[in-house]
Parts: sequence; structure tokens; C-alpha cells
Amino acid sequence: MTEAVRTESLTKYFGAVVALESLNLSVAPGEVYGFLGPNGAGKTTTIRILLDLVRATSGRALIDGLDCRAASVEIRRRVGYLPAEMPLYREMTGVGYLDFLAALESRPADLSFRRKLLTRFDVSDIDLRRRLDRLSHGMKRKFGIIQALMGRPSLLILDEPTSGLDPLMIEAFAETVHELKTEGRTTIFLSSHVLSEVERLCDRVGIIRRGQLVRETSIADLRRDTPRRLRVFFDRPAPPLPAALATAVRRSGDRHWELEWSGPLGSALDAMQGLPVADIEIEPFKLEDYVLKIYSGTSGARE
Amino acid sequence: MLFALFRRSLARHRALIVAVAALLSAFQILDIVVAYNLQANGIYAQFATLVPAFIQEAMGGVLVGSFPGAIALGFAHPLVMLSLSCVAIYLASEPAGEVEDGLVDLVVARPVPRFLIVTRSTLVYLVGSAAVVAAMFVTSRVTVRALSPATLTALPAVRLAWVAANLLAIVWCFGAAALAMASHVRERMRAAGTVGLVAIFLYLLQFGAAAWNPLRPSARVSPFHYYEPMRTLLGSTSPAKDIAGLLGASVVILVLAYVLYEKRDL
Repeated sequence: MTEAVRTESLTKYFGAVVALESLNLSVAPGEVYGFLGPNGAGKTTTIRILLDLVRATSGRALIDGLDCRAASVEIRRRVGYLPAEMPLYREMTGVGYLDFLAALESRPADLSFRRKLLTRFDVSDIDLRRRLDRLSHGMKRKFGIIQALMGRPSLLILDEPTSGLDPLMIEAFAETVHELKTEGRTTIFLSSHVLSEVERLCDRVGIIRRGQLVRETSIADLRRDTPRRLRVFFDRPAPPLPAALATAVRRSGDRHWELEWSGPLGSALDAMQGLPVADIEIEPFKLEDYVLKIYSGTSGARE
Repeated sequence: MLFALFRRSLARHRALIVAVAALLSAFQILDIVVAYNLQANGIYAQFATLVPAFIQEAMGGVLVGSFPGAIALGFAHPLVMLSLSCVAIYLASEPAGEVEDGLVDLVVARPVPRFLIVTRSTLVYLVGSAAVVAAMFVTSRVTVRALSPATLTALPAVRLAWVAANLLAIVWCFGAAALAMASHVRERMRAAGTVGLVAIFLYLLQFGAAAWNPLRPSARVSPFHYYEPMRTLLGSTSPAKDIAGLLGASVVILVLAYVLYEKRDL
């Protein structure tokens, strides 16, 4: 099956600055892909090459098997894009802004779908008639999300989509992504620094650092492979460590152990059978811990 | 799609176009009223003799002691020519502004071919500057009709239209240059400022060439060299060749703008 997004040895130099270096990534159709990386890692450059706003120095980018440079107009018919910094025609009203952007689409606007989005994101008729420069940052962001979604694109490219949104609207956004995911017709390429959001919404993540993809994996694999922290408490002095847990122990006190366990938790629990365990605390998997290690270069991820 | 882009851009620049049209139209009224009073008091001819010949030549011979000279001055005064050039330059520099403030991300991320952005800006600066010149033309004719109806028959509208067309051709040349510059750089003020300074330099070059013979050959590179409003108005020359030359130069520069915008990073 043709990938929704694919880059092949994508490289971009801005003068002497290397923005991307041989980036290879792929996103399957219908997938929600989290594109992560610290500031200046090359995320926005990658997105802008996909949209043919910036031209690669070498390598190529493909969307639905079409070259982003050679078939750029055809590709942009299929894409909805939300930039990280929301550019606005300050003097326009919200409705004028949406109408103008709809007029640039090749298909007629689906006004009932737009109305549904406006309702979901709590944009009133009064908000629609106000000038954009008089709206709050969050409201402007809502218009950004709506303009990206309103054309019902087959590929959504969202750069920091929930930046500046209140928790209710973040929830509305997540609900929308889940709906699109369930329908299965839309691929979502999402760049975000909000890792809890990425963990919740994405099927897979690609992590980029200094222009290079350092890890590409599914959230499910990460959950499985990332060591989990367990604290085991006893109501009397801790017993000797069973052999099966010996390599996992990070610290042991009078009445507790701290373990870092890789693999299914069942085998760790099996090893504790018969021990006087009073309580067990299991830290939930946090993408944040994993990503921060990669950002700082201390993970064993492929470099 | 092109219409939506054109309408949006025109809406953004509407205030500027209207303001300059109003100012330069007011200038036409003022110019003609002053000239009419000078003529009525019989001191116009004396006034004209005070102006050095090279200044008269630099301004296309517009200050010869006549009422038509004053009408031509409304289309040849440095303030008028440079203001109009600046309007066209500013309108044409929009592509750089869109890159600078990120608006291009919204527009070009949609199925908008890049050449449409250049076409849109070309249309906007052509129409915007033409609207200003049209307002000047109408104001000039109406004012002359009100003050000196006899002059209207001596100076048919078609001759003033040729003057206006010649002025527009100059202005469009600078607009094309600004568009080419804006298709390459990322800041609007850099594009508009650079071409604006070049326009002033080229005007001074033409002015200087009228006063100093060694400069004359180099004045040929100045678009202002191809503008003789007084002779055109009196019917002693046709500016068709000059206009064609200026339009030809604009087309060449516009082609360059298309090429540069197609190749650039936005």
C-alpha cells in the first residue's frame, strides 16, 4: 500500500545551517503520526517541504506516492494545514477569513461540516463577525484548526495544534481526532510539544533531533519496551530478593524495593508470589520520560 | 481562485489607493487653480521666464509659460511621479510581505499555484496605480472644464490620456522591478525600500542629465527619460514608442519575477 507520507533521504541546508540530514520517515494511510523533537530540530522544515513551501536540497518527499515538488498543487488539494504560528489577515472577520480560505480550495466548501466544527469549538456567530485582531489567542487558534479541517482533507498536517487552547477545547480537538481516526479516511501528521497529547492521540511517533530521525516507533511498542518503575512495600522487613528480580532492583530499603522492570509485568508479579507484599505502586508509562532522554541524547536510541 | 486572491489584496490596500488618489487629485485641482490665477493676472509668462531652462527640460518642458504647461505639470511634478511610483512599488512588494508575516503559509498551503501569487500582485499594482491616474485624469478634466472651458477644445482628452498612459508605463516599470525584488527577498520593506531608492536615483539622474551634458547618455537607463508630457499634450510628439519600450521592459522584469518566485523558499 502507498504510504500517506514518505521522505527519502530528505536533506535541507539553509546556507551553512543543516536543517535536515537524510531524513527517512513513513506514515501509513489512516495513521495518526506524532512528529516530535526539540525546538530547531527540523520539524517545521520537514512540514514545509511536504507542502512545497520550502525546497529540499536533496532527497525527496512524497504524499500518497506523489512527489511534493512535481505534483505540489495536486498534493495541496488533499492536505489541510495548521501552521504553528497562526498567520491572520488582522483586518478580516472570522467568517471572512474562513470564506476566503475556502475560496482557495478546489472543492466547494461543505458549509454544514464547517458549522459542525464551529459548534464543536464553541465559536459563536458574534465571534465570527468580530475582527481577527480583536480575538484572544485561543480563539484565533480555533479558527486555525477549523480552517485546516473544513476542507475534509485526506491528510492533516498540524503543527502545535493545541497551543493556547483551554482544556475544554483540547478535549474537543482530541474528540475530533478520534472521530477522524475511527472513520479511517484521514491521515494525521501532528507535531507537538505536549507529549501527553501525543501519547493519547498518536499511533506512532518519529523523534527528530538536529535534523535526523533518531527513533520511529509505535506507542504500543514503546509501552511494551520502556522499563516501568515499581515500588514494592512490605509490612515487615523486606525479604531477600528473588533471583528473577535481582537485575531489576534500583534501590532497596528496610521495607521497600524500587524496581525498573522491562517486559510484561505479570512475570514480575509472579516472582513476588508468597512474599509479604503490602502494596505495589506502578508508575504509568510516560512518553515524556522517554522523549526527554532522546532529546538530551542519553537514550540508547538509534543515532 | 485568482479573483479571491485579487479581491483580498485589493481590500488590504484599498485605503492606500484611495488616499493617494485623493491627494494627487487634490494636487491637480490646486495646480490648475494656481495656473488659472497666474494666467488671469497676466503674470504667468513672467513667472515661467524665472525658471531655468534645464529645469523645464528635466520636467518634460512643462513650465513653458502656458496654461497647458500647468496641466502637464499635474502629471509631471516630481512629487506626483515619485508618489505614484511608490504606490506601485508598495503594492507590488506584497509577496515579500506575505513571506515575512507568514500569510503565505496559509495561501500557498492550499492548491494555489505559485504563479497565481505573482499574477495577483501584478494585477493589483497595475489596477491600483491605474485607478490613481484615472482619478487624476478625471479631476484634471473636470477642473479645467470648470475654470477654462475653452482650453478643453485646445487640449483634447486623448492627448491628456497619452500623457497619463506614459506616466503609468513608467510607474508600472517600477512596480515590475519591485515585484521581481519581492519575489526574491523575505522582507517587504527591503523590496519596496530598495526599488524606491532606485526610482529616486533614476529621477535625479534624468534631472541631472538635463543640467549636465556628460550625464545624458546614462540617463537613457532611467524610465523618466521616456516621458515628455508637455510635447505630448501639445500634440508635437506621440509617446507610443516610449510607452511600448517601457511596457516591454516591464514584461521582461515580470518574467524574471515569475522565475524567481517559482524557485524560491517561501
